[in-house]
Amino acid sequence: MSKKNIIELNQISKNYERKIALSSLSFVVEKGETIALIGPSGAGKTTLLNMLASNFEPSSGEIFIDGRPLSQLTDRKKRAKKIGIIRQQFDLVGQLAVIHNVLAGRLADWGLGKSLLNLFIPQERQAATQALTRVGLPDKMYERTSNLSGGEQQRVALARLLMQKPEIILADEPVASLDPSRAEDILEMLTKIAKEEQQTVIASLHSVEYARKYFSRLIALKNGELFFDLPADQVTNKQLQELYQLKELK
Amino acid sequence: MSMFSFDLHKRKILTVFLLLLFVWSLLGVKWQDGVIHASGVGTASEIFMAMFTPELSANILALAFESSWITLAYATAGMSLALVLGLVFGILASGVLATRKSSRTFLKGSFRGLLGFMRAIHELVWAWLFVASFGLSPYAAIFALAIPYGGILGRIFADMINDVPKEPIQALQAAGASKLQCLFYGYLPSVKNSMISYTMYRYECAIRSSAIMSFVGLGGLGYQIQLSLDDLNYDEVWTFMYFLTIIVVLIDGWSSLLRKRMAK
Amino acid sequence: MKKRKFNFMWFSFYAFLLLIGASWYFVIGVEKASLTELFSNENMEYASKFFKGLLGVGEEEIAFLNQESWSDAFTLSIETLQMSIMAIGFSTIVMFLTVIPAARNVADGSMTLSKKWYRWFVFGLIRISYIFSRAIPELVWAMIVIFIFKPGILPGAIALALHNFGILGKLCAEVIEDTDSRPIRNLASSGANPAQILMYGVFPTVLPKFLTYILYRWEVIMRTTIVVGFVGAGGLGQQFKLSMSFFHYTEITLLLICYLILVFIADYISEKSRYFVK
Repeated sequence: MSKKNIIELNQISKNYERKIALSSLSFVVEKGETIALIGPSGAGKTTLLNMLASNFEPSSGEIFIDGRPLSQLTDRKKRAKKIGIIRQQFDLVGQLAVIHNVLAGRLADWGLGKSLLNLFIPQERQAATQALTRVGLPDKMYERTSNLSGGEQQRVALARLLMQKPEIILADEPVASLDPSRAEDILEMLTKIAKEEQQTVIASLHSVEYARKYFSRLIALKNGELFFDLPADQVTNKQLQELYQLKELK
Repeated sequence: MSMFSFDLHKRKILTVFLLLLFVWSLLGVKWQDGVIHASGVGTASEIFMAMFTPELSANILALAFESSWITLAYATAGMSLALVLGLVFGILASGVLATRKSSRTFLKGSFRGLLGFMRAIHELVWAWLFVASFGLSPYAAIFALAIPYGGILGRIFADMINDVPKEPIQALQAAGASKLQCLFYGYLPSVKNSMISYTMYRYECAIRSSAIMSFVGLGGLGYQIQLSLDDLNYDEVWTFMYFLTIIVVLIDGWSSLLRKRMAK
Repeated sequence: MKKRKFNFMWFSFYAFLLLIGASWYFVIGVEKASLTELFSNENMEYASKFFKGLLGVGEEEIAFLNQESWSDAFTLSIETLQMSIMAIGFSTIVMFLTVIPAARNVADGSMTLSKKWYRWFVFGLIRISYIFSRAIPELVWAMIVIFIFKPGILPGAIALALHNFGILGKLCAEVIEDTDSRPIRNLASSGANPAQILMYGVFPTVLPKFLTYILYRWEVIMRTTIVVGFVGAGGLGQQFKLSMSFFHYTEITLLLICYLILVFIADYISEKSRYFVK
């Protein structure tokens, strides 16, 4: 358990009633890596990310975050400092102004009083403005979040992550509902910010081109098992073909 | 195939059942003894004709304005209390502040039960209970309104909170928000508009309830209507009824405007 | 545009605060209602006597322990149930008769895709009758109806129906207004006449929602039956008033218990039927 490894998975399995979602998965992640999780639908990518986010426990095996078991990281606020998550559906509160959704990233550090005060008089406005500028939305601060387009909303979610400053960013199909140019915008922003802040990123994607273009390491899952785990430039087209091949109908 | 047709027939079965139920209910009336008073028809037409000639003398008008204000004031005071009760109990009854599943079920169950009891009893019965035990006081009317209305508001608020989509809330939790922070950043902003809309609707009902509360002797339009009816002054009765209708229409109109603006 | 919207909302907000403040000031300042007076020694004594009476402490004939009383109460409860069903039945009938012309999209012709000049007139007439019906509380209707009909559950049912058809009418007209017009237009372009459009396009969609509203109003009517009984319209409410005037408090407790049971039954049936139809 080297301290340099920020995530370590050891023989992780997850079983549901009729399905084996993940079986005997093991890999380690060093701090600052950008990893793309690829594989056909149902391969277990979302299950893996949800498990890393502590949404449920593995059926067997261990997960270590920064040398300590994930199951011990029960304090929600401490966990938020370690792991942040961004999803396909943005998950923002539509009725709030953009600035509040961004500042929600600081809720882990704020007590109830400051949180309430913030709803009326936005606190730490400087930091919020900076975050919004970095994602390219400086003028949308006081707009109602539901009025923004899909791409803009995902950028707000990114800005929230900037405020939260987690050490690890998990992204579950972050660009699946965006058109190509927006998608590339977001991925570029995500990986650039992660590099600047020295954060570790694990993102599940279904586009292999994006995976190769923006991430340094590809982990492929098929049927819940590790199919390959290679640096992006070493992945061959043949491997990709095999990965995505549908089972032949008999 | 057979399952499908049962589903279709479900509704028809229900309709037939309801019709039968309705016919059964009619049997409760002793139709053969005659249902209308001897002088009934005469009185009915008198009352009906008086609709066109409401009493407009200065005395009665002043009385009408005064009673209208009393009715409005009691309704507003009662509603403001009901809103507080509804918010507090509703949030508790929705279970969003509980951490473990067991405490959540207990919390939800007990507070929903409390709210159910509060709203089961009609406001007039509450009013009568309060007057019988504490005597005539405006507080009798105000509490008699606040309790059942608080119960209704609380129950609806709890339902609204439970209907909020869970993804944004989960995202807030993942960002490190505590239960109370989730409440203020996630749940409440999402239901705020629906809450306001429903409260306005109930406010309109409260005005009518306040009017009939006066029957228990507490001043207001209902009291005046009762007095005038006892004296058989149908013209006066209609004056008061018109005032009541106008107040209700005004609040209803304001409420619709507000709802339209909020929906934008 | 945003400026103006905010102004109205803020205006309303402040107006409400003002109204609330004025109301409480009126109650406390002008009418000098006092909370402490409420809980004075004298009042507390009186109140505790009242509650003891309700619970039957120190009474000889305790109504809710008496089998005969229970069977009387049972009969009354059945009567009350009948009153509520009659009331909702009458309301529903009137609603069905009047709801279609009361919908805006029928009045302006977009629903039936035909324009008739008199539609707006009928619309206005019906809507006004709805407003009137629901503005007048049931109790007031009951007091008027009692003059015309002999005492019993019929006047109670009629009074309740008079108040509720307006509410039901408005709610159901709104359902019609909210229906998606595209299937309707489709039907029309396949050649359906207005009556057919209603039968095939409108009814199947709106009837489930109508049922929800009808059940909801029945729940409310169940609670209100006790109130119209006060003024002589039969059922539990009428007996309530009688027991009140004779100071037979234990009877009142018995009646209240039956009332609560009825209300819970109505709530329960209403919930279950909703699942059944879904």
